[in-house]
Amino acid sequence: MNPQFLADGILTGALLGLGGVGLTLTYSILRFANFVHGDFLTAGAYLALVLAGVLSQFLGGDGIGPFSFGWPLILALPIAMAATGVLALLLDWMLFRRLRRRGEEIVLVMASFGASLALRSLIEFAFTPEPKYYSQDLQIALPLGFGVRATPDQLAVVALAAASGLVLHVLLTRTAVGRAMRAVAENPDLARVAGIDPARVVRTTWWLGGGLAALAGVFLGLTVQIRPYMGFDLLLPLFAGVIVGGVGSVPGALAGGMIVGIAEALAVPIIGAAWRGGVAFLLLLAVLLVRPQGLFGMER
Amino acid sequence: MTALTVENIVAGYESGMPIVRDVSFSLDAGEIVTVIGPNGAGKSTLTKAIAGLVPERTGCVLMDGKPITAPAHALAHVGIAFVPQTENVFTRLTIRENLQIGAALLPRARRAGRIDAVLDMFPDLATRPTLAAGRLSGGQRQMLAIARALIAEPRVLLLDEPSAGLSPALVEGVFSSIAAIAAGGVSVALVEQNVAAALRIAHRALVLVEGRVAHDGPADPLRSGKLLARLFLGGTGDDPVT
Repeated sequence: MNPQFLADGILTGALLGLGGVGLTLTYSILRFANFVHGDFLTAGAYLALVLAGVLSQFLGGDGIGPFSFGWPLILALPIAMAATGVLALLLDWMLFRRLRRRGEEIVLVMASFGASLALRSLIEFAFTPEPKYYSQDLQIALPLGFGVRATPDQLAVVALAAASGLVLHVLLTRTAVGRAMRAVAENPDLARVAGIDPARVVRTTWWLGGGLAALAGVFLGLTVQIRPYMGFDLLLPLFAGVIVGGVGSVPGALAGGMIVGIAEALAVPIIGAAWRGGVAFLLLLAVLLVRPQGLFGMER
Repeated sequence: MTALTVENIVAGYESGMPIVRDVSFSLDAGEIVTVIGPNGAGKSTLTKAIAGLVPERTGCVLMDGKPITAPAHALAHVGIAFVPQTENVFTRLTIRENLQIGAALLPRARRAGRIDAVLDMFPDLATRPTLAAGRLSGGQRQMLAIARALIAEPRVLLLDEPSAGLSPALVEGVFSSIAAIAAGGVSVALVEQNVAAALRIAHRALVLVEGRVAHDGPADPLRSGKLLARLFLGGTGDDPVT
């Protein structure tokens, strides 16, 4: 087997893991499958594109060192993350907060499906279906040994995704906010009597989930392209990664995303690229049948 | 001095179908009041109603004579801690993290010291603070649940069947801890099915039958069992014991 497929799988897995972390947080704390998450990813990518475009007027558009991106995108990234977090909060305030009171999960899921469609159409209307790029510069893939090649951007994305996962793990395990989020995810009533304000945790979750989706979106845009359906197309592998890793588990989302990414990439030489999407579906089914709580999930 | 006053609580899970009907009682500082009664009498619903976890509730809960209007999550901030009967620890969090959740109500500078102090009270928990609470035995979970509730130094502790599912030896340990907690000045409302054990440590007993208070008085007269049997069967505490 060509190890290049494994390298490609690691890159895809890093993106799926990062996108999956936000999804697993919203899934476990807000208790519904949020279909808008993929479109938060798209929105974040486009917001960073616009912001980087504006900033490049003042800072210039040259890449730093071997990378295709420069200071405009680096500065645009945290702003796009924060803005996507605000977008998620706004959507919760306008839509989900009201429906949550009724306590019916299926209503929330269908509402998220509708919101996803609306947001995606809005993005397509504003930016057209034509793919966009953060940089048109050609990047030369560097030889890494064993016949594996990767561009500097791809290496940066894998490193930054790993670092982001680590930061998030520390946030969730070493801070009061993180403990409160894990507590509400497991038992909202007990969290409430323990003095945790669930509404505050829900707001934090939307903001963090939106921000992480934007981060994954920018990384995806950097290594592939930016288009209105980029997040929606990633939904199945994102959900598969979250469920493989165990809903509610951040390390699980990272590991599950990596497993799905690598499995998809390794399947390409065997079953062809056209069928790679089915691998995520098969993995999802297998985990639900054999170990429904996922690799890192705990049985109740 | 009265710490907690419950006035005319009517509570249930569906509108127009109350489980607790017009219950009033008070709890003095350092007092243990056990809430006992037959199955389905509304004992657990009463504690949940006080803790703000029951959707339909009328009546009033007062702390130091002042009505509490805050939402459930704010009760812990006014000094009321609640330990549910089941699912009373965060199983995915470690012992220390469970305690840190409780300690978050305290000023930052006091948190670590208070966690150490509570771990001293429950030595079983102190040996493995990084163990996930889901891996603890039933008795250890109960201890952790009480420890988590105590850590923020509440003035009122609501306990819903802390002996449920525990071996007799563990029950003794749990009840000794509750007596020690009350001796420290904490008021305890103790819902219990293990009536004999609860009456041994309680100062007063509130007997609920079909959601109403059938008896509210000292625990001593109920220890003989005859009066209690009559109350459980629907009699009143005023009838002579035969």
